[in-house]
Amino acid sequence: MAEPGTVQEVVRVQPADVAVDPAVAGLIYLEARLADEARYSEWESLWADDGLYWVPMHPGDDPEVTLSYIYDNRRRIKSRVAQLNTGTRHSQTPPSVMRRTISNLEVVARDEDTTTVASNFALYEYRYAMTVWAGRYVHRVQLTDAGPLLVAKTVHLVNAGGALPTMSFLI
Amino acid sequence: MTVTAAPVSRPHDVTALVEPDRVHGAVYTSPEVFELEMKRIFREGWVFVAHESEVPEKGDYVTRRIGGEPMVVARGKDGVVRVLANRCTHRGNRLCNAEKGNSSSFRCPYHGWTFGNDGKLVGVPMRDGYGDRLNAVREELGLVQAPRQESYGGFVFASLAPTGISLLEHLGNATKAIDRLLDLSPTREIQLSAGWMKHHNNCNWKMVMENNVDGYHALFTHASVYDAVRPAKVSHVPSKVEVLVRDLGNGHSEIDYEPEYTRLDEEFIWYGRLPREKAPEYVAAMEAAHGPAKAHQALVSGPPHTLIFPNLFLAEMNVMTVEPLNAGETIAFTAPVLIPGAPEINTKTLRRTEGAMGPAGFLIADDGEIGQRNQMGLAAQDPEWVVLSRGSDTDVDDETGRVNHDKSAETPQRGWWKHWAGVLAGSRG
Ligand code: FES
Ligand SMILES: [Fe+2]
Repeated sequence: MAEPGTVQEVVRVQPADVAVDPAVAGLIYLEARLADEARYSEWESLWADDGLYWVPMHPGDDPEVTLSYIYDNRRRIKSRVAQLNTGTRHSQTPPSVMRRTISNLEVVARDEDTTTVASNFALYEYRYAMTVWAGRYVHRVQLTDAGPLLVAKTVHLVNAGGALPTMSFLI
Repeated sequence: MTVTAAPVSRPHDVTALVEPDRVHGAVYTSPEVFELEMKRIFREGWVFVAHESEVPEKGDYVTRRIGGEPMVVARGKDGVVRVLANRCTHRGNRLCNAEKGNSSSFRCPYHGWTFGNDGKLVGVPMRDGYGDRLNAVREELGLVQAPRQESYGGFVFASLAPTGISLLEHLGNATKAIDRLLDLSPTREIQLSAGWMKHHNNCNWKMVMENNVDGYHALFTHASVYDAVRPAKVSHVPSKVEVLVRDLGNGHSEIDYEPEYTRLDEEFIWYGRLPREKAPEYVAAMEAAHGPAKAHQALVSGPPHTLIFPNLFLAEMNVMTVEPLNAGETIAFTAPVLIPGAPEINTKTLRRTEGAMGPAGFLIADDGEIGQRNQMGLAAQDPEWVVLSRGSDTDVDDETGRVNHDKSAETPQRGWWKHWAGVLAGSRG
């Protein structure tokens, strides 16, 4: 990420690139809805073979040497979904009732077939009581012949530095 | 959310809340019991505060709480690690507000008093206002240091009471568990430098702690992991394995997998059955340090699964501690145990910690959920008691403690509660 005062930072204070390809935005919204509705296997089908689902504890962390809340490679994404699908993942039995809104979509990088989009989200989770989650998503989406696929999703929670309630749903 | 506490009928007679094989539900729900625990267990007894590897350099500090009181653990410019009250001695402002950092001094933002990282008061702005008393003020108003502080294996413990038993007396048989963890490091050093996951639990702190040595729940609470992902490292059906539970005395207890691992004589069962070829540098360093035979034994035996009363759980390749907030809320802290000079193992350990532990962990998220439901269930005041009699007829005493060969026996819980009742009744532990 660019340090304040660097050339990149000067570039970044330009108005955001909001020209998000509808196919990319569509995948981001679909991913959100499937997660909200606990449609685990359908959610998993959005992932590319080398997908990475990451929820760091601090924005600048290096996952090689620091602990994350979630650092799922594709194999572990599969395991996470399989566990949720058992119906005996007690912390999601029954699944939390959730709705999230995503806004402020900005394209932060793109090459021929891959687009990285940053956004803000607010997620309302009802279980025993209402819990509000919020933060910044960074989705990396690849456009393939088979349609758009999710290559990486990073979730920077605003409260990542504090003690988190149980978060075994798909954030 | 806050769970309503059941009122206590006998708030001041805590010994009546604990019987040899059952405890009154109020031990988990009563605010009066909680206040007494903070005093007797967390302020007067020995509690784990930090690991020396968290403050490796001079000036490094971390902030913690002991029984609700803010503390800073700082390595001074003299290299000494001190547990200090995180409270300006002038009018009480919290001095250190970051979770961790490095600083040669701590400057209070309120009126600018400055303390060295050894706790000495080194600067008082507009000093004339103290007239002749300035030197006395500077002498007397250094940061308050925990009256007692000792370490074992780099684990720093403190007590806020000036007198009591030594740390070694308190740890008793549990030092062997710390040794067992250190045996897995070629240098006998470990690092808790990857950060702590913090998980807010809606249940009593003792539920978080004692569940860690409950060998009965895994097949049920964690069925989803074994069904969906992989079978347990060794069977959780007690009759199929030589896995013990042990009350080590002084409230410490463990689930001991070593007999089963030794019977199988297989290295790294505790580490996802990692083939030793996958960690060549680590294995070579272990053999160079300990010799092939001892290294093999350490890699077979694996890490401890040991609860050290009241707030330290050696969770195999993790360390867990708790910060009790009130009778119904607890923050659990979890850090992976890293081994200096073994990067091939350490990155894997991070991934294993994330997989199992913390708010999104495959295991701990469900333990947290069950803990919360337990707290909800206890709001029913009839039945009054929680039953811990499982295996009480088959406990056997030996030189290691009180052992039960059925890992689902509630031997660890009985040991925990016996000690707890003694400490709350005023026998210094
Ligand atoms: S309270 Fe710290 S200087 Fe006054
Ligand atoms: Fe568990």
